[in-house]
Amino acid sequence: MAYYGQQQQPPAGYYNQPGAQPSQNDPNFLWGVFQRVDKDKSGQISANELSGALSNGKWIDKDRSGSISGNELQQALSNGTWTPFNPETVRLMIGMFDRDRSGTISFQEFQQLWKFVTDWQNCFRTYDRDNSGTIDKNELKTALTGFGYRLSDRFFDILLVKFDRQGRGTIAFDDFVQCCVVMQTLTSAFRAYDTDQDGVIQIGYEQFLTLVFNLKS
Amino acid sequence: MSWGGPPQQQYGGYGAPPPQQGPGAPPSYSQAPPPNRGQIYGQPPPQQQYGQPPPQQQYGQPPPQGYQPQGYQQPPASYGQPGGYQQGAYGGGAPPQGGGYGPPGGYGAPAPPPGVSQELWNWFQAVDQDRSGKITAIELRQALMNGNSTPFNEETCRLMVGMFDKSKDFGDKIDIHEFAALWKYVQDWKGCFERFDTDRSGNIDAQELGNAFRTFGYNLSPQFSDSVIRVFDRRGMRTINFDDFIQACVMLKTLTDKFRVKDTQQRGVINIGYEEFLEMVLDNTIMAVK
Repeated sequence: MAYYGQQQQPPAGYYNQPGAQPSQNDPNFLWGVFQRVDKDKSGQISANELSGALSNGKWIDKDRSGSISGNELQQALSNGTWTPFNPETVRLMIGMFDRDRSGTISFQEFQQLWKFVTDWQNCFRTYDRDNSGTIDKNELKTALTGFGYRLSDRFFDILLVKFDRQGRGTIAFDDFVQCCVVMQTLTSAFRAYDTDQDGVIQIGYEQFLTLVFNLKS
Repeated sequence: MSWGGPPQQQYGGYGAPPPQQGPGAPPSYSQAPPPNRGQIYGQPPPQQQYGQPPPQQQYGQPPPQGYQPQGYQQPPASYGQPGGYQQGAYGGGAPPQGGGYGPPGGYGAPAPPPGVSQELWNWFQAVDQDRSGKITAIELRQALMNGNSTPFNEETCRLMVGMFDKSKDFGDKIDIHEFAALWKYVQDWKGCFERFDTDRSGNIDAQELGNAFRTFGYNLSPQFSDSVIRVFDRRGMRTINFDDFIQACVMLKTLTDKFRVKDTQQRGVINIGYEEFLEMVLDNTIMAVK
């Protein structure tokens, strides 16, 4: 097996997996969500609106209407820590789902984004063995190993330091998503150079720069 | 050499010690370059201290310290060390000199802390909406504008707040002294940017960017400048704004430093393992800026 294993894709929503919560994939339900996130009623969700929705409680209290309760949404769209949702993760997600490069998310794009978030949430809960709402180093290790990564113990320490935004020695949901997406992106970039799959690449200075500057999730 | 581009004779002996002062401040390009010694990938001229400002300064924005004689020949040291955030150059002790020329009256705001100009203090307070005494990257956005009057993008603000926030508690925030240093840093970059914006368009195209990289001492192909423009081009105009220019230069510097560390043979090529690679680039992912 290659050093980074055969990665099973983490449950990213854009890979056609059936959602775990069927009711949440109902277009009517999602349309309701979309409208609540789209606060300026422009028909497009901006990064700010998405951040607002993903950061707990900021918008749920306003005009409760439609069929979704604030609780459901909050549960579905938050990092569970009462802190603003990781802006990098928001940006990553917009980058991934904003197919027309408009900088905003249309309803169609939103459906996929929603699926992405909820699938990742289910994944996160699976690895949060102690139901603490965050995952610790061991849980992170189990998760990434489960995805097929082969990484040293030391490297998990590095990941933890890098993605632990709360400084608690654990990783919240939003940071977990960022971590996994970044790992996936970097690994495929590396793998593209590692033609003989031995885990070592030879790369020139400008190639290296070009690679890093052009990373896309 | 496989990465193209003729060697620049005048810059960056490869063996010169890399600057210690941390990620990117506008490199100085007015200095006499050191003799070349078979440089591989170029580097900023060694004598340039990070944080040494380019000669031109203070465009458009309210100058923090009022009027001072400007000009190309101003000795760098007189600016303090705007990028010297790792040196404690400003940490409460050495903010920008002066403070004597703020707008009169001060809008009834409390007096600025010692060493901080009234003008800068007013900016800070206007931006610090929650009056916490610290501002976040989001708040900072409101203080910084590109030449075309668009606010700075969030990533560049986060990058800079991360650089200048010395108190490493959760969530990057900067206080007034850190803000003063950051402000100066931006002004210095601005001078640099305008210097290379030769057609005065307010943004930079691939050729201008290539000139900038070359002047900083990097030995990179025109294709590379093109690709950087493509990555940061937000409006499909084949140009980049001031904020992205800062981001690109800081990234280039950081990545070059990291590459150089691995390139012990100074060949311009490295062999690198998977985990090492991850470690090198983990902090430099600006994925999907568009």
